[in-house]
Amino acid sequence: MIRYVRLLAELLALNWRLRPLAAAGLVALCLAGVPTTPAMALALREALDGIVQRDPRAAATSAAVAAIAYAVGLYLRSLAYTLETMLGDRVGTLHIRRHIEEQLTRLDGLDHLERTDLLDRITVLRGAAWRLNHAPWQAVVAVCDALRLALLLALLAAVSPWLLLLLGFAAAPLWFEQRGQMSIADAETGTAEAFRLQRHLFNLATAAAGGKELRVSGAGPEIARRQREAWEAAVSGRFRARLRAAAWTVAGWTLFTGGFTAGLLLLIDRTARGEASAGDLVLAVTVAMTLRNAVQDTLFAVGHAMSGRILVEPLLWLRGYAASAGTTGGRTPPARLRTGITLDGVGYTYPGTDRPALDAVSCHLPAGTVVAVVGEYGSGKTTLVKLLTKLYRPDRGRIEVDGVALDDLVTAEWRARTSAAFQDFGRFHIRFGETVGIGDLSHVDDRGRIADAVHAADARVLVDRLPDGLDTQLGRPFDGVELSEGQWQRTALARASMRTDPLLFVLDEPTASLDAPSEHHIFQRYLVRARELAARTGAVTVIVSHRFSTVTGADRILVLHKGRLVEQGTHDELLAAGGRYADLYGMQATAYTRT
Amino acid sequence: MSRIRDRVALLVRLPWAGPGLLSALIGLTLLLSAVPAATAAAAGWLIDRLTGGDARNAVAPLAAYALVLLARHALVAVREPLSYLAEARIDGRHRAELSRLAASSPTIDALERSEIQALIRTARADPESFMDGTPGAGVLAQLDLIGRSVALIGASFVLAAYAWWSVPLLVAGAVALHQLRWHEGVQRRRVWRHVPNSTMRADMWSDALVSPAEGKEIRVFGLGEWAIDRIDRHLRTAYDPLWPMDRRILAATWRQLVTVLVPLGIVYVVVALDAARGGAPIAVAVAALVAGTGVFEAFDGAPQATINATTCIQAFTRLRTELADGRAVQRGRAASAGGPPTVRFEGVSFGYPGSASPVLDGLDLEVRPGELLAVVGVNGAGKSTLIKLLAGLYEPTAGRITADGVDIAELGPGAWRARLSVVFQDFVRYHLSAADNVALGNALAAPDMAAVVGAARDAGFDEVVSRLPAGWDTPLARARGGGVDLSGGQWQQVVLARALYAMRTGAQILVLDEPTAHLDVRTELDVFTRLAAHRGGASVILISHRLSTVRRADRVVLLSGGRVTEDGTHEELIAAGGAYATMFAIQARRFQHGFDDRLEEGELT
Repeated sequence: MIRYVRLLAELLALNWRLRPLAAAGLVALCLAGVPTTPAMALALREALDGIVQRDPRAAATSAAVAAIAYAVGLYLRSLAYTLETMLGDRVGTLHIRRHIEEQLTRLDGLDHLERTDLLDRITVLRGAAWRLNHAPWQAVVAVCDALRLALLLALLAAVSPWLLLLLGFAAAPLWFEQRGQMSIADAETGTAEAFRLQRHLFNLATAAAGGKELRVSGAGPEIARRQREAWEAAVSGRFRARLRAAAWTVAGWTLFTGGFTAGLLLLIDRTARGEASAGDLVLAVTVAMTLRNAVQDTLFAVGHAMSGRILVEPLLWLRGYAASAGTTGGRTPPARLRTGITLDGVGYTYPGTDRPALDAVSCHLPAGTVVAVVGEYGSGKTTLVKLLTKLYRPDRGRIEVDGVALDDLVTAEWRARTSAAFQDFGRFHIRFGETVGIGDLSHVDDRGRIADAVHAADARVLVDRLPDGLDTQLGRPFDGVELSEGQWQRTALARASMRTDPLLFVLDEPTASLDAPSEHHIFQRYLVRARELAARTGAVTVIVSHRFSTVTGADRILVLHKGRLVEQGTHDELLAAGGRYADLYGMQATAYTRT
Repeated sequence: MSRIRDRVALLVRLPWAGPGLLSALIGLTLLLSAVPAATAAAAGWLIDRLTGGDARNAVAPLAAYALVLLARHALVAVREPLSYLAEARIDGRHRAELSRLAASSPTIDALERSEIQALIRTARADPESFMDGTPGAGVLAQLDLIGRSVALIGASFVLAAYAWWSVPLLVAGAVALHQLRWHEGVQRRRVWRHVPNSTMRADMWSDALVSPAEGKEIRVFGLGEWAIDRIDRHLRTAYDPLWPMDRRILAATWRQLVTVLVPLGIVYVVVALDAARGGAPIAVAVAALVAGTGVFEAFDGAPQATINATTCIQAFTRLRTELADGRAVQRGRAASAGGPPTVRFEGVSFGYPGSASPVLDGLDLEVRPGELLAVVGVNGAGKSTLIKLLAGLYEPTAGRITADGVDIAELGPGAWRARLSVVFQDFVRYHLSAADNVALGNALAAPDMAAVVGAARDAGFDEVVSRLPAGWDTPLARARGGGVDLSGGQWQQVVLARALYAMRTGAQILVLDEPTAHLDVRTELDVFTRLAAHRGGASVILISHRLSTVRRADRVVLLSGGRVTEDGTHEELIAAGGAYATMFAIQARRFQHGFDDRLEEGELT
C-alpha cells in the first residue's frame, strides 16, 4: 500500500514535470470545485431566510449566488474532464507507455516472453499506460471529494451539533458500499478465466488465420456458440456479485435515511421552538440530497484510484525484474576471435520443467570454423544457440569466448558482434528494405549493404517481383504485400547477413520453409560467407539443422540427443563411427536413394 | 436525419435484454424519474407546514420526504445490477453475432482485407478495452434518456405551477448544454478516426517487443531503442492532432458556463424576488428552486456512451454487408454415400486483388478418387492458393472446380467442405479440452467420442492424453485453470488426430499443407506412416517441398507459372528429366556425393 501511494506520487510528479501548467491547472480545478456544492446549499438557505423575512434584495442576491455556484461547479467539472483526458494522452500514452517498453527492452533474456506467468503480468501492463495515469488523478479527485463530503457534514453540524451524529450514519453507506465493491472485485477475478476464454474464441472467429480452418471444419458456429457460453458464465457470476453489492448498498442507505430523518425531526422541533430557521431546514434537505452523490463520487474515485493497483503491482514487479535480470558484464569482446568459443559442462533447464534441455555439454568451437548442430526434435539444438547469443544464461557450467566468460562480456556489445537467423524468425511489417536493413542499424538506409544482404539470402528474384522493390510495404494489415512462409524466411536470412564483422554467426534451421533449389543455393552461399567471415574476424558459424544433407560440409558436427552431446566430429568421421549420426543420416538418405 | 436513425438502431436492441429484465428496468427507470418532482413537492410541503406555524403538522410531510429519499436510494441501488445484466446481455449478443458473422462468411478473402479487420476492431465491443464503445452502454443510455425526459416533464410541472415561462427557458438552456457536449464528443471521434493506421503501426512494434520470435531478433540486433522511437513517432502522429483540439475544447468550455448560468440565474432571482414580495407561496418557491437544477440534471447524461455505441453499430452494419452472411450455408449435408469424388480444376485462374500478376493462370488438374497426390513447386508458385480455392475459401477469377462433374460453387461451401479436411500450416490451437481440440476437426457432425479416441490412437496422441492431468478434459492452454501447454511436436499429433477424426466422420479428401516443415526426420516419417496406414479410401493431397516425402505419393504434379507443368509418378518425372528431376537430384545428390557437387544456376530453369 505504501509502495502504491509512493508510485501514485511519482506519477503525479511525472505529470507535473512534463506538463506543469496542465497538472497544476487540474489540481486547482479539483480544489476549486470542492466548495461549490456546500456554497450552493448555504446560498439557498440565505435565499429562503430572505424570503421568510420578506427581504427581496437579500433573497435575490442569495438566489443569484446559488445559481452561480451551481453553474461554476458544472463548468469546473467539464474543464477537469477535458484536462485529464489531455494529460492521459500526453503523459500516459506517450511517456508511461514508453517507460514500460523501455523496461521491457532492458531485459536481456527471453524468460519473460516465454513463461506464461511472467507474460500474464506483462500483458496486463501493455495498453494500461492511459489507465496508469488515470489512477493518480482519481486519487486527487478522491481527496477533493472527501473534502467536499467533510464540508457538507460540517454544514450540518453548524445547523445543529446534534446533526453531527449523522456522521456515524454517513459512515454506514460508505462502509456497506465498500463491502459490495469488494464482492464485485472478487467476482471479476473469479470469472477472469471465462472472460479470457471468450476473448480467445472471439479473436479466433474474427481473424483470418484461424478463419481458414474454422470454415473447412465447420467449427465457426460452434466457436461462436462457445464464446457466448463463456461470456454468459462470466456475466452471471459478475451479475450475482452486483446483486449482493446492491443489497449491501440498500442496507447502508436505509440506516442513513433512518438517522437523517431522526435528525430532521430534531430540527423541526427546534424550528417549532424558534431555535432554528426554515432556511436551516432547507439547508439540511439540500445537503441530504447532495450527500449521496458526494458519498458515491468519493467511493467511485477511491475505487478507480485503487483499481490502478492491479496495474501498479505488475509495473513495480517489472521494474524490479528489469533491475535484477538486467544487463551483466563489463568487458568488451575481442576485435578478432583467436582461439574460439568453449563450453564447459553447460546445462540449462527451462523454468517450470524438471528435465534439463541441455545437460553437461562440453566442447570447443574453434575460431574460423563452421560448426553444425544436429539432433532430433527437442534435443536442445535451439537452446544451445540461445545460450551462445546470451538469450539465456546457463544454470550450470560456463561459456568462454577466447578465454573470457560470456557472462563478463557486455551483452549489448557481444550481441553487436553476433548475427543470427532463427527458426521462428520475426515478421516485421515494414518496408522490405528496412526489414533487411535493421539487421545492422548503423546501415539501415545503406542501399548497397542491403542489396548485398539480399543477394546473400538469394532473395534478389523475390525483390524484383515486388511492386516497389525494396520500398515495398510488407504485411496485409498495412495494405502491403503478404509474403509466403519461405519468403519471410528469406527476409530473416537477409537481415542476418547485414553485419559484416560478427564473431558468431548463427543459422538456426535457416531453410526449413524453402524449396530444394533455394535451400541448395543458400547453403552454398552461406558456406562461402562463413569462410569470408572466418578470414576477416575468425568468426564461428553455427548451423542448426535437422536436414542432414545440409551439414555434411561443416568442419565439425555436434550431435545432440535429449540435451546431451553424444557425438562430435566431421561428417566422414561420424559416418565411420556408425553411431547415432550415421543412423539418422542413413534414414534420410535412403528416402532419396531407395527405389 | 441520421442521428435519429442511429438512436433507433440503439433502441431496437433494447429487447435483447430479455422481456422480464427489460420491463423491470423500464419500471425502475420510470419510478426513478418521478423522484426529483416528488422530492421537490415533498420538500415544498414540508417547508410550508413548518412556516405555517404548527411544527407538529410536519410529521406527515417529513415521513413522505423520508420515504422519497429512501426510495431513491433503493431504486438506484437495485437498478445498478439490472443495468449491468442488460448491458452484458446486449453486448454478449452483439459479440456472438459478430463472431458468427466473421466465422461463417463463405470465403476468406474479405477477412484478410485490412479495412475489414479495422471494422472488426471498431465493432468488437470488448468491455475491458476502455477505448471500445459497447452497444449495451449506448442502448442503456437511451433508456436513461427516456427516464430523464420523464423526470424533466415532472420537474416542468412543478416549475409551471410557479411560472410557465420558466420551463422553456430552462429546457432551452439544458438542450443547448447537451448539444455543446455532444459536439465535443463528435469532434474527438472525428479526429480519432483518422489515425488507426498510425496506432496499428505502433501496436505492431509494441507486439514485436513481447513476441518471442521478433523479441529474439530485437535483442540480437539491438533494436530495442530504435523500435521504441518508432512507436513514439507513430503515436505522436496519432495523438498530436488531439492536443490542439482539446485546447480548443478547453477554451470553448465557457459557453457551457453561460448556457447554464443565464437561464438558471434568471429563474432563481425572479422566484426569490417574487416570493420575498409575497407573490408566491413559500412552498412553491422552494419546489421551483429545487426543480430548477433538476432540469439540467435531466440532460446530464454523458453523450460519449451513445456516440461510441453508434460508431460500433455502424461498423457492425457495414461488416454485415461486406461479409456476405453465411447463415444459409453453415450446415451442409453429410457426405454422399459413395467414395471420394473426382475433383477437377478446369482452367482455374486466381489473382489477389491489387496484385498485377495472377497466382494461378488457367490451371488444369485432376485429383482421382483415393489417390495420394503430391503438389510441389518453388516458394510462391501458388500451392497454398490452390488449397484455398479447393476449399472454397477463395473463388476463382476464371474457370471452375468440379467434384464428380458438379461445380463446387453449386454444391455450396457447407456441403462441399463436409467432404474435406485440411491441415493448415498455421493450424488453430483451441484453448479448449483435448477432446474438443480433436473433435473440432469436424464440427458439422455431432461429437463422437469413440471416433476421437480412435483418431488419437492412430495419430499417436493417446499416449500424451494418458499423461494429461485430467485426461481428455484437460484444456490445452496454460491460460485455463488446470490447463497445460503442449510442445510443438505434441501439437502436431493433435492436428493429425484432428484430420483423422474428420476422415472417420465423413471427410473423403484430406489436404496437408506443408504439415511437417518444422519436424525432424523421425517425426516426419512417423506422421506419414500413420497417415498412409489410416487414410482408408480417402484421397490425399500433400503439399511439401521435401521430396523424400513427396516421392512416396502415387502421383506428383509440379506447379510453375500458375499451371501444372509436370505430372506423373515420381519415377516417370525422374525419367522425363524435367524441373522435378533437377530438384530431386539436388536434394538427393547432397547425400550421395557430399557437399561439393555444385549446380549451376542455369540448370534449374
